[in-house]
Amino acid sequence: MASPDISIPSMILCFLLLSIPLAINYKIKLNLSRRTINSVTRMTVQLALVGVFLTFIFDLNSGILNIAWLLGMVTVASYTTIRNVELQMEKLFLPVILSFTVANLSILLYFNEFVLDLENLLEARFLIPIGGMILGNSLSGNVVGIGEFYADIRRNENRYLYNLSLGASRYEALLPYIRKCLRSALRPTLANIATAGVVFLPGMMTGQILGGASPILAIKYQISIMITIYVSTALSTTFSILSTTQAASDDYGLVKKEIYRKKGKN
Amino acid sequence: MQDEIIRYENAGISFGNKKVLSNFSLCIPKGKKVLLKGKSGAGKSTLFKALLGFEKLSEGAVYYKGKALSPQVAWQVRKEAAYISQDTDLGEGPIKLLLEEIRAYKPNRGKMNPEKFHMLINEFELEKDILEKNFERLSGGEKQRIGILIALLLERDIFLLDEATSALDSGLKKKVADYFLKHTDWTLFIISHDREWERNEVEIVNVEKAGSG
Repeated sequence: MASPDISIPSMILCFLLLSIPLAINYKIKLNLSRRTINSVTRMTVQLALVGVFLTFIFDLNSGILNIAWLLGMVTVASYTTIRNVELQMEKLFLPVILSFTVANLSILLYFNEFVLDLENLLEARFLIPIGGMILGNSLSGNVVGIGEFYADIRRNENRYLYNLSLGASRYEALLPYIRKCLRSALRPTLANIATAGVVFLPGMMTGQILGGASPILAIKYQISIMITIYVSTALSTTFSILSTTQAASDDYGLVKKEIYRKKGKN
Repeated sequence: MQDEIIRYENAGISFGNKKVLSNFSLCIPKGKKVLLKGKSGAGKSTLFKALLGFEKLSEGAVYYKGKALSPQVAWQVRKEAAYISQDTDLGEGPIKLLLEEIRAYKPNRGKMNPEKFHMLINEFELEKDILEKNFERLSGGEKQRIGILIALLLERDIFLLDEATSALDSGLKKKVADYFLKHTDWTLFIISHDREWERNEVEIVNVEKAGSG
Protein backbone atom coordinates (compact mmCIF):
# COMPACT_ATOMS: atom_id res chain seq x y z
CA MET A 1 0.00 0.00 0.00
CA ALA A 2 1.78 3.14 -1.23
CA SER A 3 0.82 6.72 -0.38
CA PRO A 4 -2.09 8.04 -2.46
CA ASP A 5 -1.14 10.68 -4.99
CA ILE A 6 -2.00 14.31 -4.28
CA SER A 7 -3.53 15.84 -7.37
CA ILE A 8 -3.02 19.48 -8.32
CA PRO A 9 -6.57 20.47 -7.28
CA SER A 10 -5.90 18.79 -3.92
CA MET A 11 -2.71 20.80 -3.53
CA ILE A 12 -4.72 23.93 -4.17
CA LEU A 13 -7.15 22.87 -1.45
CA CYS A 14 -4.17 22.55 0.88
CA PHE A 15 -2.91 26.04 0.03
CA LEU A 16 -6.44 27.27 0.74
CA LEU A 17 -5.86 26.42 4.41
CA LEU A 18 -3.43 29.34 4.53
CA SER A 19 -6.40 31.70 4.47
CA ILE A 20 -6.88 30.90 8.16
CA PRO A 21 -3.55 32.32 9.42
CA LEU A 22 -3.90 35.14 6.91
CA ALA A 23 -7.31 36.01 8.31
CA ILE A 24 -5.99 35.97 11.89
CA ASN A 25 -3.14 38.08 10.69
CA TYR A 26 -5.47 40.65 9.15
CA LYS A 27 -7.80 40.77 12.14
CA ILE A 28 -5.20 41.38 14.85
CA LYS A 29 -2.58 43.11 12.68
CA LEU A 30 0.19 40.59 13.18
CA ASN A 31 2.12 42.05 10.29
CA LEU A 32 3.07 38.61 9.11
CA SER A 33 1.04 38.29 5.93
CA ARG A 34 3.87 39.33 3.65
CA ARG A 35 6.28 36.98 5.39
CA THR A 36 3.81 34.13 5.28
CA ILE A 37 3.32 34.52 1.54
CA ASN A 38 7.04 34.96 0.94
CA SER A 39 8.03 31.93 2.99
CA VAL A 40 5.44 29.66 1.45
CA THR A 41 6.38 30.80 -2.06
CA ARG A 42 10.07 30.25 -1.37
CA MET A 43 9.42 26.80 0.02
CA THR A 44 7.27 25.84 -2.94
CA VAL A 45 9.80 27.01 -5.51
CA GLN A 46 12.77 25.44 -3.69
CA LEU A 47 11.06 22.11 -3.21
CA ALA A 48 9.76 22.06 -6.78
CA LEU A 49 13.32 22.52 -8.02
CA VAL A 50 14.60 19.85 -5.64
CA GLY A 51 11.82 17.54 -6.81
CA VAL A 52 12.80 17.95 -10.44
CA PHE A 53 16.48 17.69 -9.68
CA LEU A 54 16.15 14.64 -7.47
CA THR A 55 14.05 12.87 -10.09
CA PHE A 56 16.88 13.49 -12.52
CA ILE A 57 19.57 12.39 -10.05
CA PHE A 58 17.66 9.29 -8.97
CA ASP A 59 17.14 8.27 -12.58
CA LEU A 60 20.82 8.69 -13.42
CA ASN A 61 21.97 7.28 -10.06
CA SER A 62 25.63 7.94 -10.81
CA GLY A 63 27.91 7.52 -7.81
CA ILE A 64 30.07 10.50 -8.71
CA LEU A 65 27.09 12.76 -9.22
CA ASN A 66 25.57 11.64 -5.91
CA ILE A 67 28.79 12.38 -4.04
CA ALA A 68 29.07 15.73 -5.80
CA TRP A 69 25.53 16.60 -4.73
CA LEU A 70 26.43 15.64 -1.17
CA LEU A 71 29.60 17.73 -1.22
CA GLY A 72 27.50 20.64 -2.43
CA MET A 73 25.29 20.20 0.62
CA VAL A 74 28.38 20.04 2.84
CA THR A 75 29.64 23.34 1.41
CA VAL A 76 26.33 25.06 1.97
CA ALA A 77 26.16 23.64 5.51
CA SER A 78 29.67 24.90 6.36
CA TYR A 79 28.94 28.28 4.88
CA THR A 80 25.72 28.55 6.87
CA THR A 81 27.47 27.55 10.08
CA ILE A 82 30.11 30.25 9.87
CA ARG A 83 27.62 32.88 8.71
CA ASN A 84 25.41 32.20 11.68
CA VAL A 85 28.18 32.49 14.25
CA GLU A 86 29.53 35.86 13.13
CA LEU A 87 33.05 34.69 12.46
CA GLN A 88 35.30 35.60 9.60
CA MET A 89 34.57 33.41 6.62
CA GLU A 90 37.95 33.23 4.90
CA LYS A 91 39.94 32.04 7.91
CA LEU A 92 37.65 29.29 9.11
CA PHE A 93 35.92 27.99 6.01
CA LEU A 94 38.48 25.34 5.17
CA PRO A 95 38.69 23.71 8.62
CA VAL A 96 34.90 23.67 8.97
CA ILE A 97 34.27 22.22 5.52
CA LEU A 98 36.92 19.53 6.10
CA SER A 99 35.44 18.62 9.47
CA PHE A 100 31.96 18.39 7.99
CA THR A 101 33.12 16.25 5.12
CA VAL A 102 35.24 13.84 7.10
CA ALA A 103 32.85 13.43 10.04
CA ASN A 104 29.55 13.25 8.20
CA LEU A 105 30.67 11.35 5.15
CA SER A 106 32.40 8.62 7.12
CA ILE A 107 29.40 8.13 9.41
CA LEU A 108 27.08 8.14 6.41
CA LEU A 109 29.11 5.53 4.56
CA TYR A 110 29.34 3.40 7.70
CA PHE A 111 25.57 3.58 7.98
CA ASN A 112 25.05 2.58 4.36
CA GLU A 113 27.61 -0.22 4.50
CA PHE A 114 26.98 -1.83 7.87
CA VAL A 115 23.50 -0.81 8.99
CA LEU A 116 21.60 -0.77 5.70
CA ASP A 117 23.96 -3.27 4.08
CA LEU A 118 23.52 -1.62 0.68
CA GLU A 119 25.04 -3.18 -2.38
CA ASN A 120 25.76 0.23 -3.85
CA LEU A 121 27.06 2.50 -1.10
CA LEU A 122 26.43 5.56 -3.24
CA GLU A 123 22.83 4.68 -4.11
CA ALA A 124 21.08 8.04 -4.56
CA ARG A 125 17.85 6.97 -2.87
CA PHE A 126 19.73 6.47 0.41
CA LEU A 127 22.82 8.64 0.18
CA ILE A 128 21.02 11.90 -0.50
CA PRO A 129 18.08 11.93 1.92
CA ILE A 130 20.01 10.32 4.78
CA GLY A 131 23.00 12.56 4.08
CA GLY A 132 20.62 15.52 4.21
CA MET A 133 19.23 14.49 7.58
CA ILE A 134 22.67 13.93 9.06
CA LEU A 135 24.00 17.21 7.69
CA GLY A 136 20.98 19.25 8.69
CA ASN A 137 21.19 18.06 12.26
CA SER A 138 24.92 18.33 12.66
CA LEU A 139 24.64 21.80 11.17
CA SER A 140 22.57 23.06 14.08
CA GLY A 141 24.93 21.38 16.54
CA ASN A 142 27.88 23.10 14.91
CA VAL A 143 26.22 26.51 14.89
CA VAL A 144 25.53 26.24 18.62
CA GLY A 145 28.90 24.69 19.41
CA ILE A 146 31.26 26.93 17.45
CA GLY A 147 29.22 30.03 18.22
CA GLU A 148 29.26 29.46 21.95
CA PHE A 149 32.89 28.42 21.96
CA TYR A 150 34.26 31.63 20.46
CA ALA A 151 31.79 33.89 22.25
CA ASP A 152 32.72 32.31 25.57
CA ILE A 153 36.46 32.71 25.03
CA ARG A 154 35.96 36.32 24.07
CA ARG A 155 33.75 37.00 27.08
CA ASN A 156 36.15 35.31 29.50
CA GLU A 157 39.44 36.29 27.96
CA ASN A 158 41.09 36.97 31.32
CA ARG A 159 40.25 33.50 32.52
CA TYR A 160 41.79 31.97 29.42
CA LEU A 161 44.96 34.05 29.76
CA TYR A 162 45.21 33.24 33.44
CA ASN A 163 45.12 29.53 32.66
CA LEU A 164 47.89 29.99 30.10
CA SER A 165 49.94 31.82 32.72
CA LEU A 166 49.56 28.82 35.03
CA GLY A 167 51.39 26.67 32.52
CA ALA A 168 48.46 25.26 30.56
CA SER A 169 49.10 24.25 26.98
CA ARG A 170 46.81 25.81 24.41
CA TYR A 171 44.67 22.68 24.39
CA GLU A 172 44.56 22.47 28.19
CA ALA A 173 43.47 26.10 28.46
CA LEU A 174 40.80 25.57 25.80
CA LEU A 175 39.47 22.36 27.29
CA PRO A 176 36.94 23.94 29.71
CA TYR A 177 35.48 25.90 26.78
CA ILE A 178 35.42 22.86 24.52
CA ARG A 179 33.59 20.90 27.18
CA LYS A 180 31.02 23.60 27.75
CA CYS A 181 30.20 24.17 24.10
CA LEU A 182 30.03 20.48 23.20
CA ARG A 183 27.56 20.04 26.02
CA SER A 184 25.37 22.81 24.61
CA ALA A 185 25.72 21.47 21.08
CA LEU A 186 24.64 17.94 21.99
CA ARG A 187 21.93 18.71 24.50
CA PRO A 188 19.14 19.39 21.92
CA THR A 189 19.91 16.17 20.01
CA LEU A 190 19.85 14.18 23.24
CA ALA A 191 16.54 15.76 24.20
CA ASN A 192 15.13 14.80 20.79
CA ILE A 193 16.33 11.25 21.20
CA ALA A 194 14.83 10.95 24.66
CA THR A 195 11.39 12.18 23.61
CA ALA A 196 11.14 10.35 20.27
CA GLY A 197 7.76 8.72 19.89
CA VAL A 198 6.35 10.25 23.07
CA VAL A 199 5.10 13.58 21.82
CA PHE A 200 5.12 13.11 18.09
CA LEU A 201 6.29 10.60 15.52
CA PRO A 202 9.61 11.69 14.03
CA GLY A 203 9.49 12.86 10.41
CA MET A 204 11.29 10.00 8.79
CA MET A 205 9.20 7.39 10.52
CA THR A 206 6.02 9.22 9.55
CA GLY A 207 7.23 9.30 5.96
CA GLN A 208 7.92 5.60 5.88
CA ILE A 209 4.59 4.69 7.40
CA LEU A 210 2.84 6.91 4.86
CA GLY A 211 4.92 5.21 2.20
CA GLY A 212 3.52 1.87 3.26
CA ALA A 213 6.32 0.45 5.43
CA SER A 214 5.46 -1.53 8.55
CA PRO A 215 5.74 0.39 11.84
CA ILE A 216 8.41 -2.04 13.01
CA LEU A 217 10.59 -1.36 9.99
CA ALA A 218 9.92 2.36 10.39
CA ILE A 219 11.10 2.41 14.01
CA LYS A 220 14.23 0.41 13.15
CA TYR A 221 15.14 3.05 10.62
CA GLN A 222 14.24 5.82 13.04
CA ILE A 223 16.33 4.40 15.88
CA SER A 224 19.37 3.89 13.72
CA ILE A 225 19.10 7.28 12.06
CA MET A 226 18.82 9.03 15.44
CA ILE A 227 21.91 7.29 16.72
CA THR A 228 23.71 8.22 13.52
CA ILE A 229 22.65 11.83 13.84
CA TYR A 230 23.88 12.00 17.43
CA VAL A 231 27.22 10.45 16.54
CA SER A 232 27.80 12.65 13.52
CA THR A 233 26.84 15.79 15.42
CA ALA A 234 29.28 14.91 18.19
CA LEU A 235 32.04 14.03 15.76
CA SER A 236 31.66 16.96 13.39
CA THR A 237 31.31 19.55 16.16
CA THR A 238 34.40 18.22 17.93
CA PHE A 239 36.34 18.22 14.67
CA SER A 240 35.20 21.72 13.73
CA ILE A 241 36.15 23.17 17.07
CA LEU A 242 39.53 21.49 17.24
CA SER A 243 40.41 22.32 13.65
CA THR A 244 39.24 25.94 13.81
CA THR A 245 41.26 26.58 16.97
CA GLN A 246 44.36 25.78 14.95
CA ALA A 247 43.46 28.42 12.39
CA ALA A 248 42.09 30.86 14.94
CA SER A 249 45.03 31.10 17.32
CA ASP A 250 48.53 32.47 16.97
CA ASP A 251 51.90 31.10 18.11
CA TYR A 252 51.40 32.64 21.53
CA GLY A 253 48.23 30.60 21.97
CA LEU A 254 46.02 33.68 21.79
CA VAL A 255 42.78 33.69 19.85
CA LYS A 256 43.23 36.10 16.95
CA LYS A 257 41.04 39.16 17.12
CA GLU A 258 40.61 39.11 13.34
CA ILE A 259 38.46 36.01 13.36
CA TYR A 260 35.57 37.86 14.96
CA ARG A 261 33.42 39.64 12.47
CA LYS A 262 32.80 43.26 13.34
CA LYS A 263 29.27 43.92 14.46
CA GLY A 264 27.07 46.20 12.35
CA LYS A 265 27.66 49.17 14.64
CA ASN A 266 30.55 51.59 14.09
CA MET B 1 74.57 39.73 33.50
CA GLN B 2 74.41 35.98 34.01
CA ASP B 3 71.49 35.83 36.42
CA GLU B 4 69.32 38.42 34.75
CA ILE B 5 65.68 37.34 34.80
CA ILE B 6 63.61 40.14 33.27
CA ARG B 7 64.78 43.11 31.23
CA TYR B 8 62.88 45.84 29.41
CA GLU B 9 64.71 47.92 26.85
CA ASN B 10 63.14 51.22 25.81
CA ALA B 11 59.72 49.67 26.12
CA GLY B 12 56.81 51.72 24.87
CA ILE B 13 53.09 51.06 25.20
CA SER B 14 50.23 52.58 23.28
CA PHE B 15 46.52 52.03 23.65
CA GLY B 16 45.11 52.75 20.23
CA ASN B 17 46.73 55.99 19.16
CA LYS B 18 47.49 57.09 22.68
CA LYS B 19 51.01 56.60 23.91
CA VAL B 20 50.97 55.85 27.63
CA LEU B 21 54.55 54.75 28.22
CA SER B 22 57.79 55.22 26.37
CA ASN B 23 61.47 54.54 26.89
CA PHE B 24 60.95 52.30 29.86
CA SER B 25 64.07 50.33 30.72
CA LEU B 26 64.53 48.06 33.70
CA CYS B 27 66.62 45.04 34.59
CA ILE B 28 65.59 42.59 37.30
CA PRO B 29 68.30 40.11 38.33
CA LYS B 30 67.58 36.90 40.20
CA GLY B 31 66.41 37.39 43.78
CA LYS B 32 65.60 41.05 43.34
CA LYS B 33 62.33 42.62 44.47
CA VAL B 34 60.98 45.48 42.37
CA LEU B 35 57.85 47.49 43.09
CA LEU B 36 56.35 49.30 40.12
CA LYS B 37 54.42 52.40 41.06
CA GLY B 38 52.51 54.90 38.98
CA LYS B 39 49.07 56.16 38.07
CA SER B 40 46.56 53.70 36.75
CA GLY B 41 46.45 53.65 32.98
CA ALA B 42 50.21 54.09 32.78
CA GLY B 43 50.66 50.66 31.20
CA LYS B 44 52.08 48.79 34.20
CA SER B 45 49.91 45.71 33.77
CA THR B 46 50.72 45.71 30.09
CA LEU B 47 54.41 45.37 30.95
CA PHE B 48 53.57 42.10 32.72
CA LYS B 49 51.33 40.95 29.91
CA ALA B 50 54.02 41.70 27.34
CA LEU B 51 56.37 39.38 29.21
CA LEU B 52 53.72 36.64 29.23
CA GLY B 53 53.08 37.09 25.52
CA PHE B 54 49.52 38.33 26.06
CA GLU B 55 50.12 41.81 24.67
CA LYS B 56 52.69 43.35 22.37
CA LEU B 57 54.92 46.30 23.20
CA SER B 58 54.52 49.08 20.68
CA GLU B 59 58.21 49.95 20.96
CA GLY B 60 61.34 48.41 22.42
CA ALA B 61 61.74 44.89 23.67
CA VAL B 62 61.42 42.61 26.66
CA TYR B 63 63.91 39.87 27.51
CA TYR B 64 63.51 36.85 29.74
CA LYS B 65 66.72 35.26 31.00
CA GLY B 66 68.58 37.08 28.26
CA LYS B 67 66.34 35.96 25.42
CA ALA B 68 64.17 38.39 23.49
CA LEU B 69 60.51 37.51 23.71
CA SER B 70 59.30 35.04 21.10
CA PRO B 71 56.49 32.51 21.24
CA GLN B 72 58.86 29.91 22.71
CA VAL B 73 60.10 32.32 25.36
CA ALA B 74 56.53 33.32 26.27
CA TRP B 75 55.59 29.65 26.78
CA GLN B 76 58.69 29.27 28.95
CA VAL B 77 57.74 32.29 31.08
CA ARG B 78 54.27 30.82 31.60
CA LYS B 79 55.86 27.64 32.95
CA GLU B 80 58.45 29.31 35.16
CA ALA B 81 56.86 32.47 36.51
CA ALA B 82 53.76 32.68 38.68
CA TYR B 83 51.40 35.45 37.67
CA ILE B 84 48.70 36.89 39.88
CA SER B 85 46.35 39.06 37.86
CA GLN B 86 44.34 42.03 39.08
CA ASP B 87 41.23 39.93 39.39
CA THR B 88 41.86 36.23 39.57
CA ASP B 89 39.30 34.47 37.39
CA LEU B 90 39.44 30.72 37.80
CA GLY B 91 36.11 29.98 36.20
CA GLU B 92 32.95 28.52 37.67
CA GLY B 93 32.41 25.55 39.91
CA PRO B 94 33.85 24.03 43.08
CA ILE B 95 37.38 25.25 43.79
CA LYS B 96 38.51 21.69 44.36
CA LEU B 97 37.74 20.74 40.76
CA LEU B 98 39.28 23.91 39.36
CA LEU B 99 42.49 23.22 41.27
CA GLU B 100 42.55 19.63 40.03
CA GLU B 101 42.49 20.96 36.50
CA ILE B 102 45.45 23.29 37.14
CA ARG B 103 47.31 20.48 38.77
CA ALA B 104 46.86 18.38 35.65
CA TYR B 105 48.81 20.86 33.49
CA LYS B 106 52.11 19.31 32.54
CA PRO B 107 54.45 21.75 34.34
CA ASN B 108 52.41 21.47 37.55
CA ARG B 109 52.25 17.68 37.92
CA GLY B 110 53.40 16.53 41.32
CA LYS B 111 53.14 20.07 42.65
CA MET B 112 50.37 21.68 44.67
CA ASN B 113 50.94 19.58 47.73
CA PRO B 114 47.74 19.31 49.86
CA GLU B 115 49.56 19.77 53.19
CA LYS B 116 51.08 22.99 52.01
CA PHE B 117 47.66 24.00 50.78
CA HIS B 118 46.13 23.59 54.24
CA MET B 119 49.03 25.40 55.82
CA LEU B 120 48.48 28.35 53.49
CA ILE B 121 44.72 28.33 54.09
CA ASN B 122 45.47 28.87 57.79
CA GLU B 123 48.17 31.41 57.13
CA PHE B 124 45.93 33.57 54.98
CA GLU B 125 42.84 33.15 57.17
CA LEU B 126 40.63 31.36 54.68
CA GLU B 127 37.82 29.07 55.83
CA LYS B 128 38.70 25.40 56.10
CA ASP B 129 35.90 24.27 53.79
CA ILE B 130 36.79 26.77 51.08
CA LEU B 131 37.65 23.94 48.67
CA GLU B 132 34.04 22.84 48.58
CA LYS B 133 32.74 26.27 47.64
CA ASN B 134 32.06 27.52 44.15
CA PHE B 135 34.67 30.00 43.00
CA GLU B 136 32.17 32.48 41.56
CA ARG B 137 30.52 32.79 45.00
CA LEU B 138 33.67 33.99 46.79
CA SER B 139 34.22 37.59 47.82
CA GLY B 140 36.86 39.69 46.05
CA GLY B 141 39.28 39.24 48.93
CA GLU B 142 38.82 35.48 49.00
CA LYS B 143 39.34 35.21 45.24
CA GLN B 144 42.51 37.22 45.59
CA ARG B 145 43.84 34.94 48.33
CA ILE B 146 43.03 31.87 46.22
CA GLY B 147 45.10 33.43 43.44
CA ILE B 148 47.99 33.97 45.85
CA LEU B 149 47.67 30.43 47.15
CA ILE B 150 47.80 28.94 43.67
CA ALA B 151 50.85 31.02 42.80
CA LEU B 152 52.62 29.76 45.91
CA LEU B 153 51.62 26.13 45.37
CA LEU B 154 53.13 26.04 41.88
CA GLU B 155 56.57 26.12 43.55
CA ARG B 156 57.95 28.70 41.14
CA ASP B 157 60.50 31.30 42.17
CA ILE B 158 59.65 34.19 39.87
CA PHE B 159 56.49 36.10 40.69
CA LEU B 160 54.54 38.71 38.77
CA LEU B 161 52.13 40.25 41.25
CA ASP B 162 49.63 42.65 39.70
CA GLU B 163 47.72 44.37 42.52
CA ALA B 164 47.69 41.01 44.27
CA THR B 165 46.69 42.42 47.67
CA SER B 166 44.35 45.28 46.73
CA ALA B 167 41.18 43.72 48.17
CA LEU B 168 42.71 42.53 51.48
CA ASP B 169 42.62 44.31 54.84
CA SER B 170 45.88 45.82 56.03
CA GLY B 171 46.67 42.96 58.41
CA LEU B 172 46.44 40.46 55.57
CA LYS B 173 48.30 42.71 53.15
CA LYS B 174 51.20 42.72 55.59
CA LYS B 175 51.04 38.95 56.04
CA VAL B 176 51.15 38.36 52.31
CA ALA B 177 53.98 40.84 51.75
CA ASP B 178 55.94 39.27 54.65
CA TYR B 179 55.45 35.82 53.20
CA PHE B 180 56.76 36.77 49.78
CA LEU B 181 59.58 39.01 50.98
CA LYS B 182 61.05 36.53 53.44
CA HIS B 183 62.17 34.33 50.55
CA THR B 184 65.42 36.04 49.60
CA ASP B 185 65.94 33.82 46.55
CA TRP B 186 62.57 34.69 44.99
CA THR B 187 62.43 37.23 42.19
CA LEU B 188 59.46 39.52 42.73
CA PHE B 189 58.04 41.96 40.22
CA ILE B 190 55.23 43.80 41.94
CA ILE B 191 52.60 46.28 40.84
CA SER B 192 50.82 47.69 43.87
CA HIS B 193 49.44 50.79 45.51
CA ASP B 194 49.75 49.14 48.93
CA ARG B 195 52.34 50.60 51.31
CA GLU B 196 52.87 47.17 52.84
CA TRP B 197 55.19 46.33 49.93
CA GLU B 198 57.44 49.36 50.46
CA ARG B 199 60.33 47.89 52.41
CA ASN B 200 64.06 48.33 52.46
CA GLU B 201 64.71 45.26 50.37
CA VAL B 202 62.27 46.42 47.67
CA GLU B 203 63.41 48.74 44.92
CA ILE B 204 60.70 51.20 43.95
CA VAL B 205 60.42 52.15 40.30
CA ASN B 206 58.12 54.97 39.30
CA VAL B 207 56.44 54.69 35.95
CA GLU B 208 55.72 58.12 34.61
CA LYS B 209 53.01 58.72 32.14
CA ALA B 210 54.54 59.68 28.81
CA GLY B 211 53.57 63.02 27.35
CA SER B 212 50.62 62.62 25.03
CA GLY B 213 51.42 62.36 21.37
